[in-house]
Amino acid sequence: MNTDKILIAFDGSENSLRAISYTAAMLSPNPRAQRTVTVAAIDRPPDRDLFPDDASWKTACAKRADAMRKALVEARSLLLGAGLPETAITTRFVESCRSPLRESLECSIGTSIALEILRLAEEDDFGTVVVGRRGVTRQEEFLFGSVSTKIIHAAKGLAVWVVA
Amino acid sequence: MAQSAREILSRLAPDFPMRHVGEIITDTTQFMRISYGDVIQLAGRHFLMLRDEAERRFGLEDPKFWVKRCRCLETGTRNILKLVFHESFPMTIGSMVVSCTRSPRKEARILDLVRGDPRFMQGETLPDAVGNPVRILDIVAGKRLDEKIEDLEMPHEDYFHTLFPTILTRFIEACEAIHWLHERGEKHGDIRRDHLYVCYDTGRYCWIDFDYTFDFQEKPFGLDLFGLGNILQYIVGMGVHTLQSLPAGELDAITRDDCSIMFGNRIVNLKKLFPYIPETLNSVLMRFSLGAEIFYDTTEELIADLTRASASLDR
Repeated sequence: MNTDKILIAFDGSENSLRAISYTAAMLSPNPRAQRTVTVAAIDRPPDRDLFPDDASWKTACAKRADAMRKALVEARSLLLGAGLPETAITTRFVESCRSPLRESLECSIGTSIALEILRLAEEDDFGTVVVGRRGVTRQEEFLFGSVSTKIIHAAKGLAVWVVA
Repeated sequence: MAQSAREILSRLAPDFPMRHVGEIITDTTQFMRISYGDVIQLAGRHFLMLRDEAERRFGLEDPKFWVKRCRCLETGTRNILKLVFHESFPMTIGSMVVSCTRSPRKEARILDLVRGDPRFMQGETLPDAVGNPVRILDIVAGKRLDEKIEDLEMPHEDYFHTLFPTILTRFIEACEAIHWLHERGEKHGDIRRDHLYVCYDTGRYCWIDFDYTFDFQEKPFGLDLFGLGNILQYIVGMGVHTLQSLPAGELDAITRDDCSIMFGNRIVNLKKLFPYIPETLNSVLMRFSLGAEIFYDTTEELIADLTRASASLDR
């Protein structure tokens, strides 16, 4: 297990920012260690069917993607502020294949953010995945699912840090 | 100024009372204004508007002004025309509120996808003069599953041992139909027991109404699974069983964990009411209870468990 590579699942929410802060606190006592941190946000554009026309859908997609990119910048600042060297931090915004704004070749095709995060972890040999947990009710988990719960259930060959 | 429908009606529907003749409608945007006697013209076909459809809920008629019962003047068939109505509204499910959107585009796409598949209502989509996608639906020749069960006059035990095994087999097929949609990235969106019909000719089940959609990111089919669970509870229980409907003596045996995760007064541990329900079947019901340790994530998992449960029933 590669303990030097850490992947943080990020969606711009408060709980994912907590995951950033926690990771920064865990790593900052020894910023010279060879650990690298990647903050990954998986693009999830709103469902096209929710909009009466393509124009309004694209506007909503762009708004959501812009907010996520700005949040990634904030996440990077938090890690830098905690003393992690710039070279140790990577941010990734993985566009959705369904996005009308998609530019990159790599895109996320699945429906599950949790499985997408685990795919990234496996592909790039991350030994640790960090995820924030909102503290959903059982009813919410039943109906909407939970990224952190699914990561815990589906993870293999790596450590999962859940920041609640 | 809209053209009168007099000429076309006198030619194609001479029996129609002339005093009710309306207008020829080519733009359906203002659907509230389309009423009895108007003729909706779509791609060279003409549909005589007979009435607005209505949904009967809680003893009240809830008119759906965008859904018109019509007769095709060229073929004589009765159709339901669903006109474009974009709306988003909060839907209450137990203690939760979910934002729901009505999407004509989604329903039109699913109608294309399921064409020729008797497990789903059939229809086609034609644009009106300004491009509104109007869905022209065939009327399902059948009866609502819940109404068929409601009409039964027999003890639950007789029902369970005689009729239920076939009902479960058919319901599994209906779940497979939903799984088929999910595999293609589509959700039904409004799985309720009054949206599942039993066809008169084959006895097989047919889903209707696909225009609701939701934006659930991590579990996009969660609401469909919830709906399937509700119907399962209904067909196993031969109706809904609530805490309020139980005799006082039986109430003591029911705990919170025996009730639905979404509706705290609805009993899903039906084995406590009907002890002859096999454990394999009851354990499926319990996956929808407050006491559930894990929930179904896919329709495939539900189908696998139901198939095992079906095999365990006496036939």
